[in-house]
Amino acid sequence: MAKTPAPPPDENTDRMPRVELYKPSWTPEQRHEFLRRRRARNYLLLAVLAGFCGIVYAIALVKLHEYGRMW
Amino acid sequence: MLTQDSVFTPAIGAEPRDWLALLKPRVVSLVVFTGAIGLVIAPAHLNPILAVIAIFCIALGAGAAGAINMWYDRDIDAVMKRTCLRPIPAGKIEPGGALGFGIVLSVVSVLLMAMATNLCAAAVLAVSIIYYVVIYTMWLKRRTPQNIVIGGGAGAFPAVIGWAAATGSIGLMPILLFAIVFFWTPPHFWSLSLFASADYERAGVPMLPVVKGARHTRWNVLIYTLILLPLTLAPWALGLAGRLYGFTALILGLAFIYYAWRVLMDRQDENGVSLTGDKPARAAFKFSILYLFILFGACALDKLL
Repeated sequence: MAKTPAPPPDENTDRMPRVELYKPSWTPEQRHEFLRRRRARNYLLLAVLAGFCGIVYAIALVKLHEYGRMW
Repeated sequence: MLTQDSVFTPAIGAEPRDWLALLKPRVVSLVVFTGAIGLVIAPAHLNPILAVIAIFCIALGAGAAGAINMWYDRDIDAVMKRTCLRPIPAGKIEPGGALGFGIVLSVVSVLLMAMATNLCAAAVLAVSIIYYVVIYTMWLKRRTPQNIVIGGGAGAFPAVIGWAAATGSIGLMPILLFAIVFFWTPPHFWSLSLFASADYERAGVPMLPVVKGARHTRWNVLIYTLILLPLTLAPWALGLAGRLYGFTALILGLAFIYYAWRVLMDRQDENGVSLTGDKPARAAFKFSILYLFILFGACALDKLL
Protein backbone atom coordinates (compact mmCIF):
# COMPACT_ATOMS: atom_id res chain seq x y z
CA MET A 1 0.00 0.00 0.00
CA ALA A 2 1.36 3.40 -0.96
CA LYS A 3 2.34 5.54 2.01
CA THR A 4 0.28 8.72 2.37
CA PRO A 5 2.56 11.76 2.39
CA ALA A 6 2.48 13.89 5.57
CA PRO A 7 0.32 17.01 5.24
CA PRO A 8 2.17 20.32 5.03
CA PRO A 9 2.39 22.21 8.34
CA ASP A 10 -0.65 24.34 8.91
CA GLU A 11 -0.04 27.60 10.71
CA ASN A 12 -3.47 27.36 12.40
CA THR A 13 -2.78 23.98 14.01
CA ASP A 14 0.89 24.50 14.78
CA ARG A 15 0.72 25.50 18.46
CA MET A 16 4.44 25.53 19.21
CA PRO A 17 5.39 28.97 20.53
CA ARG A 18 7.68 30.85 18.22
CA VAL A 19 10.55 32.58 19.92
CA GLU A 20 11.24 35.86 18.25
CA LEU A 21 14.80 36.77 19.05
CA TYR A 22 15.04 39.92 17.02
CA LYS A 23 12.38 42.29 15.89
CA PRO A 24 12.87 43.07 12.20
CA SER A 25 12.12 46.71 12.91
CA TRP A 26 15.08 47.04 15.29
CA THR A 27 18.02 49.21 14.34
CA PRO A 28 21.53 47.70 14.67
CA GLU A 29 21.96 49.72 17.89
CA GLN A 30 18.79 48.27 19.41
CA ARG A 31 19.85 44.75 18.44
CA HIS A 32 23.25 45.36 20.00
CA GLU A 33 21.59 46.63 23.18
CA PHE A 34 19.31 43.59 23.29
CA LEU A 35 22.30 41.24 23.03
CA ARG A 36 24.24 43.18 25.65
CA ARG A 37 21.39 43.07 28.16
CA ARG A 38 20.71 39.40 27.52
CA ARG A 39 24.38 38.58 28.08
CA ALA A 40 24.39 40.59 31.31
CA ARG A 41 21.27 38.76 32.55
CA ASN A 42 22.78 35.39 31.71
CA TYR A 43 25.98 36.20 33.60
CA LEU A 44 23.93 37.39 36.57
CA LEU A 45 21.92 34.15 36.54
CA LEU A 46 25.15 32.16 36.38
CA ALA A 47 26.51 34.09 39.36
CA VAL A 48 23.27 33.55 41.31
CA LEU A 49 23.27 29.80 40.67
CA ALA A 50 26.96 29.50 41.52
CA GLY A 51 26.34 31.55 44.68
CA PHE A 52 23.44 29.30 45.68
CA CYS A 53 25.60 26.18 45.24
CA GLY A 54 28.39 27.85 47.22
CA ILE A 55 26.04 28.73 50.09
CA VAL A 56 24.60 25.21 50.30
CA TYR A 57 28.14 23.79 50.19
CA ALA A 58 29.29 26.16 52.93
CA ILE A 59 26.29 25.30 55.13
CA ALA A 60 26.96 21.58 54.69
CA LEU A 61 30.67 21.95 55.51
CA VAL A 62 30.11 24.09 58.61
CA LYS A 63 27.24 22.04 59.99
CA LEU A 64 28.89 18.69 59.43
CA HIS A 65 32.17 19.97 60.87
CA GLU A 66 30.62 21.74 63.85
CA TYR A 67 27.59 19.62 64.73
CA GLY A 68 28.23 16.37 62.86
CA ARG A 69 24.80 16.55 61.23
CA MET A 70 22.91 18.70 58.76
CA TRP A 71 19.59 18.97 60.63
CA MET B 1 5.89 58.78 34.10
CA LEU B 2 6.76 56.77 31.02
CA THR B 3 9.52 58.10 28.85
CA GLN B 4 10.00 57.24 25.22
CA ASP B 5 12.98 55.12 26.27
CA SER B 6 10.99 53.09 28.77
CA VAL B 7 8.22 52.43 26.27
CA PHE B 8 10.42 50.42 23.95
CA THR B 9 12.56 48.94 26.71
CA PRO B 10 10.44 45.79 27.33
CA ALA B 11 11.25 44.49 23.88
CA ILE B 12 14.94 45.07 24.47
CA GLY B 13 14.85 43.44 27.93
CA ALA B 14 15.68 44.44 31.48
CA GLU B 15 19.14 45.14 32.86
CA PRO B 16 20.34 43.11 35.89
CA ARG B 17 20.08 46.29 37.96
CA ASP B 18 16.35 46.46 37.20
CA TRP B 19 15.93 43.04 38.81
CA LEU B 20 17.98 44.20 41.78
CA ALA B 21 15.78 47.30 42.03
CA LEU B 22 12.79 44.97 42.51
CA LEU B 23 14.33 43.92 45.83
CA LYS B 24 14.03 47.47 47.27
CA PRO B 25 17.71 47.67 48.31
CA ARG B 26 17.26 50.72 50.56
CA VAL B 27 14.52 49.07 52.61
CA VAL B 28 16.58 45.88 52.77
CA SER B 29 19.56 47.75 54.24
CA LEU B 30 17.51 48.69 57.33
CA VAL B 31 16.09 45.18 57.56
CA VAL B 32 19.60 43.67 57.39
CA PHE B 33 20.76 46.01 60.12
CA THR B 34 17.95 45.16 62.56
CA GLY B 35 18.30 41.45 61.74
CA ALA B 36 22.03 41.58 62.44
CA ILE B 37 21.40 43.35 65.75
CA GLY B 38 18.95 40.61 66.77
CA LEU B 39 21.66 38.07 66.03
CA VAL B 40 24.41 39.95 67.84
CA ILE B 41 22.50 40.56 71.08
CA ALA B 42 21.18 36.99 71.31
CA PRO B 43 22.67 35.05 74.24
CA ALA B 44 23.95 32.21 72.04
CA HIS B 45 26.82 31.59 69.67
CA LEU B 46 26.23 31.00 65.98
CA ASN B 47 29.07 30.09 63.64
CA PRO B 48 30.09 33.30 61.80
CA ILE B 49 29.58 31.74 58.36
CA LEU B 50 26.08 30.58 59.31
CA ALA B 51 25.41 34.00 60.84
CA VAL B 52 26.33 35.74 57.59
CA ILE B 53 24.13 33.31 55.65
CA ALA B 54 21.27 33.93 58.11
CA ILE B 55 21.54 37.70 57.54
CA PHE B 56 21.71 37.09 53.80
CA CYS B 57 18.49 35.03 54.06
CA ILE B 58 16.77 37.85 55.96
CA ALA B 59 17.82 40.28 53.20
CA LEU B 60 16.72 37.88 50.48
CA GLY B 61 13.34 37.26 52.12
CA ALA B 62 12.74 40.99 52.60
CA GLY B 63 13.77 41.69 49.01
CA ALA B 64 11.53 38.90 47.72
CA ALA B 65 8.57 40.31 49.65
CA GLY B 66 9.41 43.71 48.13
CA ALA B 67 9.35 42.22 44.62
CA ILE B 68 5.91 40.67 45.21
CA ASN B 69 4.76 43.99 46.67
CA MET B 70 5.89 45.77 43.50
CA TRP B 71 4.04 43.20 41.39
CA TYR B 72 0.79 43.73 43.34
CA ASP B 73 1.09 47.52 43.57
CA ARG B 74 2.12 48.09 39.96
CA ASP B 75 -1.14 49.96 39.20
CA ILE B 76 -0.74 52.50 42.01
CA ASP B 77 3.05 52.70 41.56
CA ALA B 78 2.44 53.91 38.00
CA VAL B 79 0.46 56.96 39.17
CA MET B 80 2.70 57.97 42.07
CA LYS B 81 5.61 60.31 41.36
CA ARG B 82 7.79 58.57 43.96
CA THR B 83 7.33 55.10 42.43
CA CYS B 84 6.52 55.57 38.74
CA LEU B 85 10.10 54.77 37.70
CA ARG B 86 10.13 51.38 39.43
CA PRO B 87 10.95 48.55 37.00
CA ILE B 88 7.36 47.33 36.44
CA PRO B 89 5.54 50.65 35.90
CA ALA B 90 8.49 51.86 33.81
CA GLY B 91 7.90 48.84 31.56
CA LYS B 92 11.33 47.32 32.12
CA ILE B 93 10.12 44.07 33.70
CA GLU B 94 6.96 42.09 32.96
CA PRO B 95 4.63 41.78 36.01
CA GLY B 96 4.56 37.98 35.80
CA GLY B 97 8.35 37.86 35.77
CA ALA B 98 8.51 39.99 38.90
CA LEU B 99 5.97 37.77 40.69
CA GLY B 100 7.87 34.60 39.78
CA PHE B 101 11.14 36.22 40.86
CA GLY B 102 9.64 37.16 44.23
CA ILE B 103 8.10 33.75 44.88
CA VAL B 104 11.28 31.84 43.96
CA LEU B 105 13.45 34.07 46.15
CA SER B 106 10.97 33.78 49.05
CA VAL B 107 11.07 29.99 48.94
CA VAL B 108 14.87 29.93 48.55
CA SER B 109 15.38 32.33 51.48
CA VAL B 110 13.19 30.27 53.82
CA LEU B 111 14.80 26.95 52.78
CA LEU B 112 18.32 28.33 53.14
CA MET B 113 17.44 29.76 56.55
CA ALA B 114 16.13 26.37 57.69
CA MET B 115 19.30 24.68 56.43
CA ALA B 116 21.71 27.23 57.87
CA THR B 117 20.08 27.83 61.26
CA ASN B 118 16.86 26.27 62.55
CA LEU B 119 13.17 25.79 61.79
CA CYS B 120 12.09 28.50 64.25
CA ALA B 121 14.01 31.22 62.37
CA ALA B 122 12.82 29.87 59.01
CA ALA B 123 9.21 29.83 60.22
CA VAL B 124 9.40 33.44 61.48
CA LEU B 125 10.99 34.48 58.16
CA ALA B 126 8.15 32.78 56.25
CA VAL B 127 5.56 34.46 58.48
CA SER B 128 7.22 37.86 57.93
CA ILE B 129 7.07 37.46 54.14
CA ILE B 130 3.41 36.37 54.25
CA TYR B 131 2.61 39.19 56.69
CA TYR B 132 4.10 41.83 54.39
CA VAL B 133 2.66 40.45 51.16
CA VAL B 134 -0.78 39.27 52.24
CA ILE B 135 -1.71 41.19 55.39
CA TYR B 136 -0.08 44.54 54.55
CA THR B 137 0.12 44.76 50.74
CA MET B 138 -2.98 42.85 49.66
CA TRP B 139 -5.32 43.38 52.60
CA LEU B 140 -4.64 46.52 54.63
CA LYS B 141 -2.79 48.97 52.43
CA ARG B 142 -5.74 49.94 50.24
CA ARG B 143 -8.48 49.49 52.83
CA THR B 144 -7.68 51.34 56.03
CA PRO B 145 -5.78 54.45 57.15
CA GLN B 146 -4.37 52.23 59.90
CA ASN B 147 -2.49 50.27 57.20
CA ILE B 148 0.89 51.45 58.42
CA VAL B 149 0.14 50.71 62.08
CA ILE B 150 -0.60 47.01 61.57
CA GLY B 151 1.64 46.69 58.52
CA GLY B 152 4.53 47.98 60.61
CA GLY B 153 4.76 44.47 62.02
CA ALA B 154 6.31 43.30 58.77
CA GLY B 155 9.35 45.49 59.27
CA ALA B 156 9.58 44.49 62.92
CA PHE B 157 10.26 40.82 62.28
CA PRO B 158 13.98 40.87 61.28
CA ALA B 159 15.28 41.42 64.83
CA VAL B 160 13.16 38.45 65.96
CA ILE B 161 14.48 36.33 63.07
CA GLY B 162 18.07 37.23 63.93
CA TRP B 163 17.52 36.28 67.58
CA ALA B 164 15.74 33.04 66.62
CA ALA B 165 18.56 32.15 64.20
CA ALA B 166 21.07 32.24 67.06
CA THR B 167 18.97 30.75 69.87
CA GLY B 168 16.31 28.64 68.14
CA SER B 169 13.62 30.32 70.24
CA ILE B 170 11.95 33.70 70.88
CA GLY B 171 12.48 35.52 74.17
CA LEU B 172 11.32 38.76 75.80
CA MET B 173 14.09 40.91 74.30
CA PRO B 174 13.23 40.20 70.63
CA ILE B 175 9.56 40.81 71.44
CA LEU B 176 10.53 44.22 72.85
CA LEU B 177 12.61 44.96 69.73
CA PHE B 178 9.61 43.93 67.64
CA ALA B 179 7.41 46.33 69.61
CA ILE B 180 9.92 49.16 69.22
CA VAL B 181 10.00 48.86 65.41
CA PHE B 182 6.21 48.35 65.40
CA PHE B 183 5.61 51.66 67.19
CA TRP B 184 8.43 53.43 65.33
CA THR B 185 6.89 52.70 61.92
CA PRO B 186 3.76 54.93 62.13
CA PRO B 187 5.55 58.22 62.96
CA HIS B 188 8.22 57.32 60.38
CA PHE B 189 5.72 56.69 57.57
CA TRP B 190 3.21 59.37 58.55
CA SER B 191 6.01 61.95 58.43
CA LEU B 192 6.67 60.78 54.88
CA SER B 193 3.00 60.72 53.96
CA LEU B 194 2.55 64.31 55.17
CA PHE B 195 4.75 65.59 52.36
CA ALA B 196 3.77 62.85 49.86
CA SER B 197 0.02 62.85 50.53
CA ALA B 198 -0.82 64.18 47.06
CA ASP B 199 0.86 61.11 45.62
CA TYR B 200 -1.11 58.75 47.87
CA GLU B 201 -4.35 60.61 47.16
CA ARG B 202 -3.82 60.30 43.40
CA ALA B 203 -3.22 56.56 43.82
CA GLY B 204 -6.27 56.14 46.08
CA VAL B 205 -4.23 54.77 48.99
CA PRO B 206 -6.06 55.69 52.23
CA MET B 207 -3.05 57.04 54.12
CA LEU B 208 -3.92 58.91 57.31
CA PRO B 209 -3.38 62.46 55.91
CA VAL B 210 -5.59 61.61 52.92
CA VAL B 211 -8.48 60.19 54.99
CA LYS B 212 -8.29 62.09 58.29
CA GLY B 213 -6.33 65.16 57.27
CA ALA B 214 -2.90 66.56 58.00
CA ARG B 215 -3.74 67.91 61.48
CA HIS B 216 -4.98 64.54 62.73
CA THR B 217 -1.81 62.93 61.31
CA ARG B 218 0.45 65.45 63.07
CA TRP B 219 -1.16 64.60 66.42
CA ASN B 220 -0.73 60.88 65.73
CA VAL B 221 2.96 61.32 64.92
CA LEU B 222 3.42 62.96 68.33
CA ILE B 223 1.33 60.35 70.19
CA TYR B 224 3.32 57.46 68.75
CA THR B 225 6.67 59.06 69.60
CA LEU B 226 5.37 59.51 73.17
CA ILE B 227 4.46 55.80 73.32
CA LEU B 228 7.84 54.92 71.84
CA LEU B 229 9.90 56.56 74.61
CA PRO B 230 8.88 54.29 77.54
CA LEU B 231 8.89 51.29 75.22
CA THR B 232 12.52 51.88 74.19
CA LEU B 233 13.47 52.31 77.86
CA ALA B 234 11.85 48.97 78.78
CA PRO B 235 14.90 46.76 77.90
CA TRP B 236 17.03 48.87 80.27
CA ALA B 237 14.34 48.99 82.97
CA LEU B 238 13.90 45.21 82.82
CA GLY B 239 17.64 44.59 83.01
CA LEU B 240 17.87 43.23 79.48
CA ALA B 241 20.16 46.07 78.32
CA GLY B 242 22.72 48.25 80.06
CA ARG B 243 23.06 51.93 80.90
CA LEU B 244 24.65 52.86 77.57
CA TYR B 245 21.53 51.66 75.80
CA GLY B 246 19.21 53.26 78.37
CA PHE B 247 20.92 56.65 78.08
CA THR B 248 20.93 56.52 74.26
CA ALA B 249 17.25 55.52 74.19
CA LEU B 250 16.35 58.42 76.48
CA ILE B 251 18.23 61.04 74.43
CA LEU B 252 16.95 59.68 71.11
CA GLY B 253 13.40 59.41 72.41
CA LEU B 254 13.38 63.02 73.61
CA ALA B 255 14.87 64.16 70.29
CA PHE B 256 12.19 62.22 68.36
CA ILE B 257 9.47 63.84 70.49
CA TYR B 258 11.01 67.24 69.74
CA TYR B 259 10.92 66.51 65.98
CA ALA B 260 7.30 65.31 66.28
CA TRP B 261 6.44 68.46 68.24
CA ARG B 262 7.90 70.56 65.42
CA VAL B 263 5.73 68.62 62.95
CA LEU B 264 2.67 69.45 65.07
CA MET B 265 3.63 73.12 65.45
CA ASP B 266 4.49 73.62 61.75
CA ARG B 267 2.85 76.70 60.22
CA GLN B 268 -0.37 75.40 58.68
CA ASP B 269 -3.55 76.52 56.98
CA GLU B 270 -7.00 75.79 58.48
CA ASN B 271 -6.82 72.16 57.19
CA GLY B 272 -3.46 71.50 58.79
CA VAL B 273 -1.61 71.63 55.46
CA SER B 274 1.93 72.95 55.85
CA LEU B 275 2.82 76.45 54.70
CA THR B 276 6.55 75.70 54.96
CA GLY B 277 6.79 72.92 52.38
CA ASP B 278 6.56 70.36 55.22
CA LYS B 279 10.12 71.04 56.32
CA PRO B 280 9.54 69.69 59.88
CA ALA B 281 7.94 66.51 58.50
CA ARG B 282 10.89 65.96 56.15
CA ALA B 283 13.29 66.49 59.05
CA ALA B 284 11.31 64.07 61.25
CA PHE B 285 11.32 61.44 58.50
CA LYS B 286 15.11 61.69 58.08
CA PHE B 287 15.68 61.68 61.83
CA SER B 288 13.45 58.61 62.30
CA ILE B 289 15.80 56.55 60.10
CA LEU B 290 18.85 57.77 62.01
CA TYR B 291 16.97 57.11 65.27
CA LEU B 292 16.49 53.42 64.57
CA PHE B 293 20.07 52.93 63.39
CA ILE B 294 21.54 54.59 66.50
CA LEU B 295 19.09 52.92 68.93
CA PHE B 296 19.76 49.41 67.63
CA GLY B 297 23.47 50.18 67.27
CA ALA B 298 23.57 51.21 70.94
CA CYS B 299 21.78 48.00 71.86
CA ALA B 300 24.49 45.92 70.13
CA LEU B 301 27.32 48.06 71.48
CA ASP B 302 25.93 47.72 74.98
CA LYS B 303 25.97 43.95 74.65
CA LEU B 304 29.49 43.84 73.17
CA LEU B 305 31.11 46.18 75.73
